[in-house]
Amino acid sequence: MQIQNNMKMASVIHLNYHLLPIISRFGITLGFGDKTIEQVCREYTLNVDFFLEILNSYHNKDYFPQKHLQGFSLKLITEYLHKSHEYYLHNKIPQIEQLLHRFSESDQSGHLEVFQLIDKFFNEYRQELIDHIRHEEEKVYPYVLMIEAAFQAKNTTPAIVNLIRDYSIDHFEHEHNNVEDKLFDLKNILIKYLPFPFDVHLCHAILIELFRLESDLNDHARIEDKVLVPKVKYMEKWILEHINA
Amino acid sequence: METLSVIIAEISPLARLGIIGILNSLGYPLTIKEVIHADKLLQVLHKDQKQILIISSSFINAASPEVLQKVLINKKHAAKVLIRDTCLLLKSLAGFDEIIDPEDHEKVITRKLEKLIAILSASGRIVVQNDEISDREKEVLQLVALGLTNKEIAEKLFISSHTVITHRKNITSKLGIKTIAGLTVYAVIHKLIAPEHIH
Repeated sequence: MQIQNNMKMASVIHLNYHLLPIISRFGITLGFGDKTIEQVCREYTLNVDFFLEILNSYHNKDYFPQKHLQGFSLKLITEYLHKSHEYYLHNKIPQIEQLLHRFSESDQSGHLEVFQLIDKFFNEYRQELIDHIRHEEEKVYPYVLMIEAAFQAKNTTPAIVNLIRDYSIDHFEHEHNNVEDKLFDLKNILIKYLPFPFDVHLCHAILIELFRLESDLNDHARIEDKVLVPKVKYMEKWILEHINA
Repeated sequence: METLSVIIAEISPLARLGIIGILNSLGYPLTIKEVIHADKLLQVLHKDQKQILIISSSFINAASPEVLQKVLINKKHAAKVLIRDTCLLLKSLAGFDEIIDPEDHEKVITRKLEKLIAILSASGRIVVQNDEISDREKEVLQLVALGLTNKEIAEKLFISSHTVITHRKNITSKLGIKTIAGLTVYAVIHKLIAPEHIH
């Protein structure tokens, strides 16, 4: 079922509670009464079409309106990606960290060194994720926005051409990977190898959060790979083809 | 579970038992077929290509040219291993993936077979679904967890860097752990290394 603009915001949550973090990352808070999506978006001055496309692509994995999404400005897209970064850094990661901390404190098995290693492992993962996000925020997104501004202004001056030749979004495609390997390993260590006894419920809670984080990161990466990168590539190509024009 | 299918074409019972003993020590689930008479060899050669044929030179000497033609030229198996037990009038050793010599130490034979199996399974020519990691893989894992590079591991274990990489691929696919940090946690849980030895 596709989410439409005249649907009640409350019904969206009843339909799929996994959309809660997505809604909150647009700055929307609970308590929307009987307001429709359209009304809520107007209230928060959000682009309702963009909001709907994002909701639908998270709601239904087969619904990925690549072409529609590419119709939105890179500014809008990077703003959204930035908001999901904030969500990872300020919500998801600290939450998992806390759970892991409680988990190692609950240890009564004498495997303290294993729990410490898992903490350390997650710390390394966190640091890699932070580095990755920082790189995107400081290097990639500003570049993307410059390209968009140049494209819109039909600016093909040597400065912008040199910028493309120096960086180009191709670099980003290659840099972009690998962080997920650690997350995958952590899941497998907890699922397959952690020695008993340990707090099983806590372990389940951690696993569920890791799976959610992973799935959210995958959706995030999908928007970057399938929407952001092709759009920037198109603009880069146009600019390079119109040098001196 | 998928087993590793091996055909041993060898006349000497001592040699057959020796090879079977070494194969068993590798830790893979095996299906072994022993062939003693040269004319029976064609019957056990399966249509599928996922077998390893271990054949001795005395066996080859006793076989008729047409059997040899079919067995050695037709590429019906994943790999061929020659036990060079007698002086052999074979024109070339090409076509054999590994040669075992009579003076080879048991450890050398083990290493040769392990390497062969690792290469074959990494390239998909045989399917070894053994989730237990072998003793050799354990050694590699230990050194990986201690922070050694592939080159250092190769020097330490007297194997090539290429073989180290192959072992690492197999370790990762068996354990479902991709990163060095993850492998380190696994190694500590399984007491392959002590936590204080981690860099």
